[in-house]
Amino acid sequence: MTAAFSPTCQHLLTGRLKPQLQFLPPRAPASMRRLTFALASATTRGVEADAKDDGVVLKKGIAEFYDESSGVWEDIWGDHMHHGFYDPGSTVSVSDHRAAQIRMIEEALRFSGISEDPKKRPKSVVDVGCGIGGSSRYLARKFGAKCQGITLSPVQAQRANSLAAAQGLADKQVSFQVADALDQPFPDGQFDLVWSMESGEHMPDKTKFVNELARVAAPGGTIIIVTWCHRDLAPSEESLQPWEKELLNKICNSYYLPAWCSTADYVKLLQSLSLQDIKAADWSQNVAPFWPAVIRSALTWKGLTSMLRSGLKTIKGALAMPLMIEGYKKDLIKFAIITCRKPE
Amino acid sequence: MRLLTHNMLSSNIKGVANGFPLRIEVEKVVEKKVDLNADFLRNIFPKIEWKAFAEAARTLGYAELPEDADSSFLDSDDFLDKFHHALLELHLEEGALICPETGRRFPVNKGIPNMLLHEDEV
Repeated sequence: MTAAFSPTCQHLLTGRLKPQLQFLPPRAPASMRRLTFALASATTRGVEADAKDDGVVLKKGIAEFYDESSGVWEDIWGDHMHHGFYDPGSTVSVSDHRAAQIRMIEEALRFSGISEDPKKRPKSVVDVGCGIGGSSRYLARKFGAKCQGITLSPVQAQRANSLAAAQGLADKQVSFQVADALDQPFPDGQFDLVWSMESGEHMPDKTKFVNELARVAAPGGTIIIVTWCHRDLAPSEESLQPWEKELLNKICNSYYLPAWCSTADYVKLLQSLSLQDIKAADWSQNVAPFWPAVIRSALTWKGLTSMLRSGLKTIKGALAMPLMIEGYKKDLIKFAIITCRKPE
Repeated sequence: MRLLTHNMLSSNIKGVANGFPLRIEVEKVVEKKVDLNADFLRNIFPKIEWKAFAEAARTLGYAELPEDADSSFLDSDDFLDKFHHALLELHLEEGALICPETGRRFPVNKGIPNMLLHEDEV
């Protein structure tokens, strides 16, 4: 039951990150430039550790990254920490992005074939990698369902709960806890809808991740995974090209991502678990306006000052954004959706 | 953390046969009033593990729930009030959830349970 994942990300801490100085506008404040040099030297410190420590380091890194940067994101972009869904080739204005993020949720639900029939709607939902709970609250309202969200970040869980209370979900339908998607604290077969919106890319063990999604899904339940993948390998290929691995490595460093896999790898995993109605699609064309928009928002006065206030991890993340655009342009990075159903 | 959440959580430590229900260690309980929604209560009732729920409520200091309940009880307003109160209005703000087999503590801080396992528990 093991798919062969191309080991694109070398050890997380030994990745090389060249300072992305060309990204900064020429008159970037000297403090920003000093900061970028500090970052570059910090990440090239090589630290050898074995695989077990990797997991601990990664989880801690993810938690700290989101503890630090969630506030900034929410400030500028709101409570949905995922891509918007756009018509290919459209020009989008600032105000359209939130609508696009909501459209992403709706398009994902539609793709999965989940029923709009009130009698067949999901009654219980798990949001795996819930961020500050944007999807959870949306799904809870839409379906009148009970929703549990899990995140590695205590700050996010706190914020998610506060927002639920403030938005008059009367605290009854949504709750958030700090937990690991690779070891979900739920008994088997709990949830009619298992939702993973842009969290799969953080999972170091894709097999375990998918296994847990399937385990907690109720018989007849729907699993929806929306995630960043690399392109499928050609039948003759053993792995990605060296330049592709290098590009992904740099991105991994900034976003606390383990090795990437392809959409085909996910499909194979779902097949191996005898899940049904497996469907996959490449939505890269539909998210193209997103990263340029995020970069633009980061370069505003508010964006820059917020990032400087929140810390190095956030800044590092921001500096990696052009790399994401490069990855998409070169057909290396894919924005993928994979859905399926657990047999009755 | 409300008892609604507690009723859905279990310990997934390696080797544990049955990690549900988690025992509760109470340090601070807070009551937060919330509007009663009878439809919600009726819908959620079949999903509640009642014995674990009643036991948990007692641990939080609320002993008004019957030991056993079946769906006919949902016709009683008095029962709905008690059910509602225990399920949604009692919050464990500080304390811990304890694995019933290993005794491992999962801390609850500011109402949020931390269910992360250590490397050797996985």
